Order: sequence, then C-alpha cells, then structure tokens
Amino acid sequence: MAEAVKSNGVVKVYRSRETVEALKGVDVTVGKGELFTLLGPNGAGKTTFLRIIATQLMPTKGDAYVLGYNVVKEAQEMREHIAVVPQDAATYYNFTPWEYAYYFARLRGMSASDARQMSEKALKAVDLWELRNRMCSALSGGEKKRAIIASALSSNAEVLMLDEPTSGLDAVARRGVWSTLRDLVNEGKTILLTTHMMEEAEIVSDRLAVINKGNIIAEGRLEEIKALTPEKYRVVVEGKFDRLSDFGEVAKLGDRYIVYLKTQEEALELLKTTLKMNLRAEASPITLEDVFVKLVGGVNHEND
Amino acid sequence: MRMTKIVSDMLIVAWIKSYPDFRRNPLTILLLATIGAIPLFFMLIFSGGGLLVHGLIGALLSSVAFVAVLSGVQDISWDRYVKIREMIVAMPVHPASYALGVALAPLLLSIPSLVFFGAVIASLGALTVTTTLWTILAIVLVWASMSAIGFTISTYLSKVSMMVLNNVSTLLGFAFVFVPPVFYPETILGNLSWISVLIPTSNAAGLVRSYMGLLPLSTETIIIRWLILVATTVAFVVLTSVKARWRET
Repeated sequence: MAEAVKSNGVVKVYRSRETVEALKGVDVTVGKGELFTLLGPNGAGKTTFLRIIATQLMPTKGDAYVLGYNVVKEAQEMREHIAVVPQDAATYYNFTPWEYAYYFARLRGMSASDARQMSEKALKAVDLWELRNRMCSALSGGEKKRAIIASALSSNAEVLMLDEPTSGLDAVARRGVWSTLRDLVNEGKTILLTTHMMEEAEIVSDRLAVINKGNIIAEGRLEEIKALTPEKYRVVVEGKFDRLSDFGEVAKLGDRYIVYLKTQEEALELLKTTLKMNLRAEASPITLEDVFVKLVGGVNHEND
Repeated sequence: MRMTKIVSDMLIVAWIKSYPDFRRNPLTILLLATIGAIPLFFMLIFSGGGLLVHGLIGALLSSVAFVAVLSGVQDISWDRYVKIREMIVAMPVHPASYALGVALAPLLLSIPSLVFFGAVIASLGALTVTTTLWTILAIVLVWASMSAIGFTISTYLSKVSMMVLNNVSTLLGFAFVFVPPVFYPETILGNLSWISVLIPTSNAAGLVRSYMGLLPLSTETIIIRWLILVATTVAFVVLTSVKARWRET
C-alpha cells in the first residue's frame, strides 16, 4: 500500500520555564486509504504529533511527509491536500453549519458551485443537512462538533486529520461520526485519528499505534496489537477470592478483579471455581483496553 | 501563492467575520454608531452646537478606531480559542489573507456609521471633494494603525486569558477614542497639544480638522503628521511580524 503519512524520528521539545520532550523520535507510517488511529493516554503526545503532521507546529527534529510532501519544506503545497479538525474546536455562535462547510470550501479555492455541492455532501454525511441553516448557538454539543467535521469534509481533502473528534459526544452522536469516518475511508480517503477511547480505536481503525510519553510503543492491526500480550482472555470477578493470582495476572479495581488468562481452558476453570464459591464472574476475550493498560504500564496489580 | 487567491481569501475571511453580524446581529452596527453618537450628544448639549463638527469628526474616526483595535485583539484571541485559526493554518490560505481579512471586517462593519456621520458632516457643508478624499485617507490610516496595534497586543499577550484580553482591548479602545483630542480640538490641550500627534486617532482627527479649516496647520506640519501616522502603522506591523508565527514553533 502506498504511504499517505510517514514520519521518521520526529522529536518535539517545548522550551518554556521547563523543558518538556513531548515526542521522542516518533516513526509512523499510514497507508493511503487507511484509517489510522493514534491511541494514547492524556499528555502522551498525540496532539503534538498530529499538529506537526498538519503543518500547524514545527518539529524540533526529524522528518515527516504527507502524500510525499515534506511537512516543513513543502507545507504550502501539502495544505491543498489535507483538512484538520483540532481537539476541542468550537463554533462561532452566530454561524450556521452551512456557512462553516461552504466558506471553508471557498477558502480552499473552490468555485461557488463546487463549494455548494461539497457542502451539501458534507452536511448530509454528518447528518446535519436538515439543520444546515440553524445557528450554531442553537445546536447541541454533538451537532456543533459535526458542523466542524463537515467543514473539514467539504474540503474534499485526500487526508483528514482528526484530533479526538468524538470527545464530549454522547454514544449515538459518536456512532454517527464513526459511521461517517468509515464511509469516507471506503471512498478512498486517508484518516489519521487520535483518541484515548479504546472502543473508538477498536471499532473504526484499520491500523493503530499506541503512543505513551512521546514514544510509539506498539503499531499494527488490532489483532497484532492484541497479540502483544500472551494473555488472550479476561475474567472479571466480584467479591473476595484470595487465590486469584494462582490462576493468572490480576488487576485490582476496588472490590473487583480482572484476571488475565492465556487459554480458554484456564478461563473456564476459573469460572467454575468462582461459581462454586458463589461469586459473580464474567469471561470474555481480552480487550484493546487491557492490552493498552498493560503496554502503558497502568495495571494496578493485586500484589502492588 | 497567486495574488488573486490571496485577495479573494482575504475577502472571504472579512466576510466570515462581518456578515453574521450584519445579518443576525444588526444591533452591533447600531452599537458602533452609538460609540460616536454618545459623546457627540453631550458635546452638542454642553457646547451649544459650537463644537458640532469637531464632534462629528470624532464620531467618524471613532466608529472605525474603536472596533479596529477591539477586533485586532478579540477576533484573533477568539479564533485561537475556538481553534478556527488552527484549522485555517492547515489550509492553503496565506497568513496575510487571514490578517487582512480580520482587519477588514471591522471596516465593513463601520461603513453604516461612516456613511451616517459623513452624511451629517456633508449636510453641514464641511466637506468638499478634496476634503472627502483626505478624510477617507485618514480613516483608512486610523483603521490600519489601530488594527496593527490590536494585532501587536494579541501577538505579544498570546498567553494571557481571553477575558483579560477582551477587557484590555475595550479599555484601549476607549482610551484611544475618548481621552486624546479626537472629539474635541487639540488646541484645548494648550502646550500639550503635541501629544495628539503621537496618537493615531487624534493625529488623524487633527489632519481632518486642518483640511476642513478648523485647525490651522502649515504644509510642513501636515506632511510630518501624515508621515507619523504612516510610521505608527508600519512600526506596529513590524512589531507584530517580528513576533507572530503562522505555524507555531
């Protein structure tokens, strides 16, 4: 697959009162027509990386390319091909979704008729067509967010960069955005998405990378990321059970425990034992969140 | 980037920044006119009409100056806050288009006030074709200098909270418009009248008054005052461009 985004050893150091190394040599490759998610905890460097790739922020060191354009030296040419939705972007209160989509398309150099056509398509894609002439101040949080996403979609850009586009949205609105993103990928667009929501990364991504403290600690397809830990199953146990660590690695969540197990047989064995003890237990395959927490070192071990 | 694209983007940004107010919040236009009309009202009462044209010149210039400095600070900081600026940075838009568009918007919003106060001055017989042209030039330079001052403030105080910036810009707007001799003749200041030359609003007001025959100034003084007005604008543009970065570093 041809590359849409490629970064080699991107470093970003913020110097103010104290020096902070936000990115410590990030190497990422995103294929054309792929939805790539950068997953990481708050402050991991996701936004910094995306802003460098989106030509909004200068890297301290390293190279990055989008569609073959160098993000530092060929930013002007590159900007013709990208659209960005920044994290926590808000709307002008007296603007309408239509105006967002239309004027942003015009700023990209589209003719009035092309801009009208693309705006209609974008607003229909985010399910805002019926509300296109309503002032943003009268829209819900999710609708406002979708209005901003529409302004990026109306650009018809080949590469979309979305920084936590569904943060603050309810479940229904979030699924609406996910559906739009998958439709866009199926139309051939490349999407670089950042999120700290596991479910989002799991559902929408073709490939993903886990970033923590400025380093990429894992990259690949969902199943490749999940394969990074030997445990394949999890059993959540409620109640007091002293011998849980005999079965596998245990993470303690208050009065509940997550036990990580390598095989289905081990999971069934634990389930049988807990049922005999009259404890409530639930088994399922390991989730991305489990792997993520292990990778970023956030497991609260029972023995800790 | 082609010049036609730079100009058309500038007009689109100006339209984005002014059209919603024209269409959905026309009280803004009235408010801008009021900034000039209120002091004019009191001048009319207390001077018995003797300082009416002086006041009208002040009203004309203040309707541009006040909103230009406010816009230079508040629009830029608001765009930073709502992340519109970030979105535009990542678009094929030249920084000059954005800056000039933001600056042009208040001028568009001031047009109704300018036309109104201009028409009142004309009805009093204080405007000739030549005077009108010089007055327009003075208005344009006041707009440019006050916008540049606004940009300088928002650039150098980019880390300051938006609420503080809003208050600072409003106070500055009042200070530039109501304190120096914009509504009243600078001769009232006596030996301190030179101060009015240093402030773009009062400098422009003095020039307009001299063209209308209300303030006797020598040709040399007029030339020097124009040069100071241009130099003030250039100085603030340079000051801004030294610090401002389209792409953050």
